[in-house]
Amino acid sequence: MAKRLRVLCAAAAVLPLALLAACSSGSSNSPTSSSGSAPGAASNGKTITETGSTLLFPLFGAWQTDYNTDFPSVTITSGATGSGTGITDAATGLVNIGASDAYLSPADLQTYPGLLNIPLAVSGAAIVYNLPGGKGHVKFNGKVLADIYAGKITKWNDPAIKAINPGMSLPSMNIVTLHRSDSSGTTFIYTSFLNAQDPKDWPIANVGTTVTWPSVPGQLGELGNGGMVAACGTTKGCIAYVGISYLSKTEALNLGTGALGNKSGNFELPETPAIKAALDQFEPKTPASGAQSLINTTAPTGYPIINYEYAIVKKQQASAAEAAAIQKFLTWIVTKGNSSTYLEPVLFEPLPARVLAISQKLISSISG
Amino acid sequence: MTGSAHPIGSDGGAGTTLPRRLGSALRTRVRNGDFIRWIGRAGAVIPVLALAFILVTLLLEALPVIAHNGWGFFTRSAWTEGNLYGKTVTTGGIAHPPGASYGALPAIVGTLGTALIALLIAVPVSIGAALVIVERLPRRLASGVGMFLELLAGVPSVIIGLWGALTFGPFLAHHVTPVIARNIPDVPVLNYFRGNVGAGQGLLTSGLVLAVMVIPIIAATARDLIRQVPILPREGAVALGMSDWETARRVTLPWVGSGIVGASVLGLGRALGETIAVAMVCGSALGAVPGNIYATMTTIAATIVSYLDSAFLDTTGYAVRTLAELGLVLMVITLAVNVLARFLVRKVSGTALPVGRGL
Repeated sequence: MAKRLRVLCAAAAVLPLALLAACSSGSSNSPTSSSGSAPGAASNGKTITETGSTLLFPLFGAWQTDYNTDFPSVTITSGATGSGTGITDAATGLVNIGASDAYLSPADLQTYPGLLNIPLAVSGAAIVYNLPGGKGHVKFNGKVLADIYAGKITKWNDPAIKAINPGMSLPSMNIVTLHRSDSSGTTFIYTSFLNAQDPKDWPIANVGTTVTWPSVPGQLGELGNGGMVAACGTTKGCIAYVGISYLSKTEALNLGTGALGNKSGNFELPETPAIKAALDQFEPKTPASGAQSLINTTAPTGYPIINYEYAIVKKQQASAAEAAAIQKFLTWIVTKGNSSTYLEPVLFEPLPARVLAISQKLISSISG
Repeated sequence: MTGSAHPIGSDGGAGTTLPRRLGSALRTRVRNGDFIRWIGRAGAVIPVLALAFILVTLLLEALPVIAHNGWGFFTRSAWTEGNLYGKTVTTGGIAHPPGASYGALPAIVGTLGTALIALLIAVPVSIGAALVIVERLPRRLASGVGMFLELLAGVPSVIIGLWGALTFGPFLAHHVTPVIARNIPDVPVLNYFRGNVGAGQGLLTSGLVLAVMVIPIIAATARDLIRQVPILPREGAVALGMSDWETARRVTLPWVGSGIVGASVLGLGRALGETIAVAMVCGSALGAVPGNIYATMTTIAATIVSYLDSAFLDTTGYAVRTLAELGLVLMVITLAVNVLARFLVRKVSGTALPVGRGL
């Protein structure tokens, strides 16, 4: 019996290692070995899989449904997992498309050399707040917002807020700051904006999809854009940042939308003309790789927090059929999918002509 | 196997009814009960394997960064992914984004703090509830209340988290905690109850929400234990003139003491590892130890679930590996608590049963 027990113990010790070896060879980060085998995706081009950005997810769902109507032979599955998961899943070949609110960093491309970031549409973030009887739009800039989120400004009638809102009556009410407790591209572009306008008070280390928020008494962490909207709706004196696709919901709850100061010192609302103005400034600057931050525009009438939504795709797909299917779907997204039918309900903007050409060139570089 | 399973059971292993296509060696094995023995062995080994697999995976994932994070991991509060668009730097053989720095202290304090609050409330409430159910309520009512306890245990944690975030937390912040914070004296320990009460997310809310989740576990176990206490010693105590409370304190509870410690440990395990409900009401304040009992905080489990996707954005792998180390810390804490609890149970059961032993 004792001998048997020893054998069993040895097996118990060895088996996990064996399993582990099997697992790690399947999903390791080695970009060279994973090109041939995409464990999660069938390689016949009949199925396209997507995971990633929760900000893009509702729009992606609309695209998916209509594309399926046009081309019933292709099955598309999607998952709102967050941009980080989307990038990793696409890089390891677990899915065909990873949706991301952020473009790939040089470090990402060093780890996963064969990855493309293809701009799909233009999104943005807005500041909303809950103040009683608030007429008009309270103005904010990066400096004031950084101080609010750092706990240096705690009251709505703080002199710093009053200074940029002359003539507006602001209550002596505590500011309750809301932030996302889950990983979020909205957090990423919002903190990028804070850092761009006030790098001294908002260091680059505090830019990301989940950041270490300065400890502010009364702050609230919320799950998802929906959680932000719901909590702000019930919390008097709150301030929150949400993806612009949620503005119809915040307006229904009588939340105010902030006008944001851009680099020229003008205050703009997240509306089409201001977003277009910012986009016009960045369009010629966008490089062939598609990686371009759209934060803190220099355009005098531009809205300062917008971003490209990206499809993260591996250049080298498992088969020619699969590459063709992905190319067809992505081309449909940047052309027909960029029509106002899809983008208007979520307040997204279509890709400008030059960026559309960049996306199409990137899409055509995918091969099997 | 489905075809051969029936004959074994029905006629006591008579080989003739086994299907012919089974080889003779196999048939002998089935008849001798070897199969059952092997299934039993597999059943015994699989849990061990699963635990070993999880531990080994976590350890391998975390190993490269454990030395890099060092002992400072347990004393630092910073939690910074670094500049993801900066040039990757390599220190001590570990590649990471510039400025990346992780410390587990706030998460460890949060985990232990919320679990402590939960147990401080749940244990007395559960014992009281169990005593009332067994000894006070008429049988029909008792079974009804007991059913509610079991229903409460079955409520998914995400529902309790929703209730905590939307209803209970704001209620506390508006109507309860301001009163406590204003009136509590400014003396050591109690001054943790003073100061800014926040907006309903934080240490106290998380602890109370956990208590709600832990109470049914402890209470249901305690009720079953107290039912096992024989009636004779209790009647004896009453005959000696003890009040109900004295009977409970001197006879019933000592009788089941070790069992209640065990039940509390079950609850503690739940409190330490509970993830989503806490993630919804903790305020997810990475990087700061809570300054008072109302302050926003985070626990190890909540950090892992809310930070994982962001960690994937750090493609050097440093962030994910650090999360694995954090997971390892949680496993060690949970295992240590279990070992401690076993020790406690042994101690309690050694000194318990002052009356009625041997009945």
